[in-house]
Amino acid sequence: MIHVQNLTKRFNDPSAKVNAVDGVSFDVRPGEIFGLLGPNGAGKTTCLRILSTVLRPSGGLAEVAGYNVATNPADVRANIGFLSGNTGIYDRMTAFEMVEYFGRLYGLDEETLKERINTIFDTLQIHDFSDVLGSKMSTGMKQKVSIARTIIHDPPVLIFDEPTLGLDILVARNVLNQIAMLREQGKCIIFSTHIMREVEKLCDRIAIIHRGRILAMGTKEELEEQHHEQDVEELFFDLITEHDRAKALTE
Amino acid sequence: MRWKNIRLIFTREVRDQLRDRRTLFMVAVLPILLYPALGLGMVQMMLLFNVQARTVVVLGADDLPTAPQLRLIQKGNFNARYFESPSEVSTLQVIADEESTKSLKQKDQLKRILANEADIRGLVSQIRELGELKDTWLEENPESGDHFPQQSQIQKLKNDLADLTVGADVVLLIPEGFGDRIHELNQKIAARESTELDSNDRPYVIKNSADEKSMVAARRVRGILDRWEEAVLEQRLVEASLPKSLPQPVNPIQVDLAEDKQRSAFVWSQFFPAILVIMAVTGAFYPAVDLAAGEKERGTMETLLISPAARGEIVIGKFLTVLLFSMSTALLNLASMGFTSRYMASVAQNGMLEKVGNLAPPSAAAIVWMIVLLIPLASLFSALCLSLATFARSTKEGQYYLTPLLLVTMGLTVFCLSPGIEISPLHVFLPIVGVALLLKEVLADPTSTLAITYALPVLLGSVGYSLLALWWAIEQFSKETVLFREAERFDLRLWLRHLFRDKEATPSFVEAFCCFGLIMMLQFFSMQFMQQAALASAQDPTGIRGLQLLLIQQVALVATPALLMGVMFTTDFRRTFRLRMPSWSVLGVAAILPFFLHPLVKEIMTLLDPFFPPLPPGVIRAMQTMSSDQQPLWLLLLAFAVAPAICEEIAFRGFILSGLSRSRRVGLAMALSAIAFGMMHMIPQQVFYASLMGLVLGLIAFRGGSLLPPIVFHFLFNALNVVITRYATSEPVVATLESPVMKWFFQTGEDGITYRWPLLMLAAVGATIGIGWLISKRSDPRAMPVVTDPYAADSTTKPMERSALGVS
Repeated sequence: MIHVQNLTKRFNDPSAKVNAVDGVSFDVRPGEIFGLLGPNGAGKTTCLRILSTVLRPSGGLAEVAGYNVATNPADVRANIGFLSGNTGIYDRMTAFEMVEYFGRLYGLDEETLKERINTIFDTLQIHDFSDVLGSKMSTGMKQKVSIARTIIHDPPVLIFDEPTLGLDILVARNVLNQIAMLREQGKCIIFSTHIMREVEKLCDRIAIIHRGRILAMGTKEELEEQHHEQDVEELFFDLITEHDRAKALTE
Repeated sequence: MRWKNIRLIFTREVRDQLRDRRTLFMVAVLPILLYPALGLGMVQMMLLFNVQARTVVVLGADDLPTAPQLRLIQKGNFNARYFESPSEVSTLQVIADEESTKSLKQKDQLKRILANEADIRGLVSQIRELGELKDTWLEENPESGDHFPQQSQIQKLKNDLADLTVGADVVLLIPEGFGDRIHELNQKIAARESTELDSNDRPYVIKNSADEKSMVAARRVRGILDRWEEAVLEQRLVEASLPKSLPQPVNPIQVDLAEDKQRSAFVWSQFFPAILVIMAVTGAFYPAVDLAAGEKERGTMETLLISPAARGEIVIGKFLTVLLFSMSTALLNLASMGFTSRYMASVAQNGMLEKVGNLAPPSAAAIVWMIVLLIPLASLFSALCLSLATFARSTKEGQYYLTPLLLVTMGLTVFCLSPGIEISPLHVFLPIVGVALLLKEVLADPTSTLAITYALPVLLGSVGYSLLALWWAIEQFSKETVLFREAERFDLRLWLRHLFRDKEATPSFVEAFCCFGLIMMLQFFSMQFMQQAALASAQDPTGIRGLQLLLIQQVALVATPALLMGVMFTTDFRRTFRLRMPSWSVLGVAAILPFFLHPLVKEIMTLLDPFFPPLPPGVIRAMQTMSSDQQPLWLLLLAFAVAPAICEEIAFRGFILSGLSRSRRVGLAMALSAIAFGMMHMIPQQVFYASLMGLVLGLIAFRGGSLLPPIVFHFLFNALNVVITRYATSEPVVATLESPVMKWFFQTGEDGITYRWPLLMLAAVGATIGIGWLISKRSDPRAMPVVTDPYAADSTTKPMERSALGVS
């Protein structure tokens, strides 16, 4: 479903000495949650923005649902649901209007749209505030509407970039449950975060990303075995300090 | 491009804007309320203004003529019949005796003025005497300037007078026995007795022109005295049994042919274009900032970008929204202003709007015209504002772009509205100007033939500009660097260090623009100097000094800035200025092409001549130098062909084109450098054909990979001009051209040597083949700039196709 090979992104900025994404490769299958774990500025968001076709890759290949992000961006966008801290909702639209608008942009016919909105509002419990304007919603409500917007067209691929950022523990838990439910429906999901516990709880496979490179990849068990470290947090910390030390030596 | 998506985005954005109170206020509420409120305010100001009476102290009122028909002061006020309108009587408070000061708050001051009548008279006559002395002294010493020796004495007397007259806005001083003297004089004239008619005992109006209140009062007093004087004169004529028309032996009668309707159309045509243009900008700006920068700021931009809508669809959806608001703002403002001013005009019949008469609304045809012309105008502004707003990181940054945009627009509109500026072929293709002038024309007379002739070109031109601006907006929207612009910290020191230390091989896009700006600035600031020098050289019959000037201008103001910038800001001097061996085939074509293109360009310019204003005298003089046989041919070639070829190519095909092609978009770089090259030539004719030549020169520079082919082309083209102008009157040449074979190709006559159609056909074929070959040829890779982005330069690491990786 998602195929990424040697993906590279360099920004056209003279001060940027390194590539934001530097030769990243991975695959994600349907019914799987792939966790992208990395500190702030590791290149997670850039990588996912390329997958969502908002940014163009400088090199390498990225395919989503069989479409190349560089050559068929429209088809890619039609087949993914994308949620990140940067995909806000409109202040001057109600929850219903917002979801309806995006459903129409995705080309759903009126009947399907109505049905989908009903089902999704049921599961996410949006009905109570479906007439509230975006500017009047709480952070949790906004995130619910965002999720509804992400899945309105029932896409096979879902990309969640730090979806629990800034949420309280109750809402965050709810969001994670929703994502787990989506896996049950056979969706192919990428989930990026810098919080270890979420990865441990949710992800089938994990990639640890730092300075644009993937340092380690595999299931939790595989990683623990390879690096002889039981705790993901320790593992993560070790890998990153080791990488930075090696880099300092070469320079 | 899917229309459904555009419509979806459009309807959403419109609804969004309608829910925004600020936008609604700007677009609808403000115009509807603003103009009536302004009108109301004006009425109130007028009322306030009327209430305030100014005090005029009349000294010697008893000496005024007493005849009832000449009574200046009546019932303690100036006689109502001497006011422009009788209702203005109360605007002046006349103080002639102590009785009339009673109810006033400054009565003590006024009483003092009345009591000091004798002193005031003394001071006034002293001032007058000194003034007369000064006049004779100035006549005798015309070179001394204004340094009259007794100036300080005059000033002292004036200060004393000012102290004495505190409390009055104006003091009117009537000389003693004034009325009796007038009466006496009348009788003498009636009896036809010869007499000394002129007298120095004239009334004085003492005012202070630095004080606004005093000025207002003095102006009114003067109006009254003028009308009173007419009455006195009339009385004198009647008594002398002379015709009343005696003082006006010519007295022409004015006949105004304009109907009320035309007069109001004229009023509309003065105001509406400006309001329409300014409101179209403002109406486009705020929604555009909200729609683009606002979307970035509120974090919904990415939400929209990941939807299936293409960037073009998003931009057009947003553009249509901005267009809708721009047009409604403009029209609402216009309607509101029109109704208010009409209402005001009908209310204030006798005020300053009286001349306008009954303001008739613009005719239906004029309104249709306005809406038709508003569409491309508003489109241009909408697309421009949207581009700027997309570029802005935040709404705050977006607001900053309004001022320059508004200033430029206002400058252009003010130019269009200045009296005497009429639409002409040159204006047609200027953005905003063409539309504004056409609007002015149709509002004055919707059936004007001038308007109908220019309507289509103006519409086409402005639609073209709107499309360009829209294309730019889509461009902006597709750029990662624009959409995800981070807040960069600007530090002058860091920036300078970056500029000089991290030099790149070839100039950047911005540096190329700066180079062009520098050349234009130098041209602008040297203009005055060059003009003086040209005037001086005009006395030189050989014109040699003019040629020297041209040479200096080329080397100092065109080539030097580019070369200096090249040394300072780039590392690869050879690459920047394309100093390498050319492709020989391109060089060959560049050497042949001028011979084909020159006849064509000359013909086109002759055909287009009526579209351009006449050449300024300086250029005509330079062209005469070209054809004079006073100079040796080599000097003319040096000044008009060699120097421009080398200097202009160094700047435009060297530094500027290298910088502009950094984005690797050859077509865009060529077009921009051609426009820059054209603009440097200032004179409209030359701007036009230099831009065309710039395109060809850019093409040659890219395909040849060297600066030499453009230099050769440029030199030959200019040299042909020089040679043809020079030998146009030479006997042997004319004789050769009139020989049987040559007659087919050339025509000699008063306009010099011109080409005949067989030669033009030949030239057209040759030029088409030459340019076609150049277009089909691949650019020389050495002509391309060095790119620091390793992935863009190396095709193997570019985003891969599936097959390229061998993955099935």
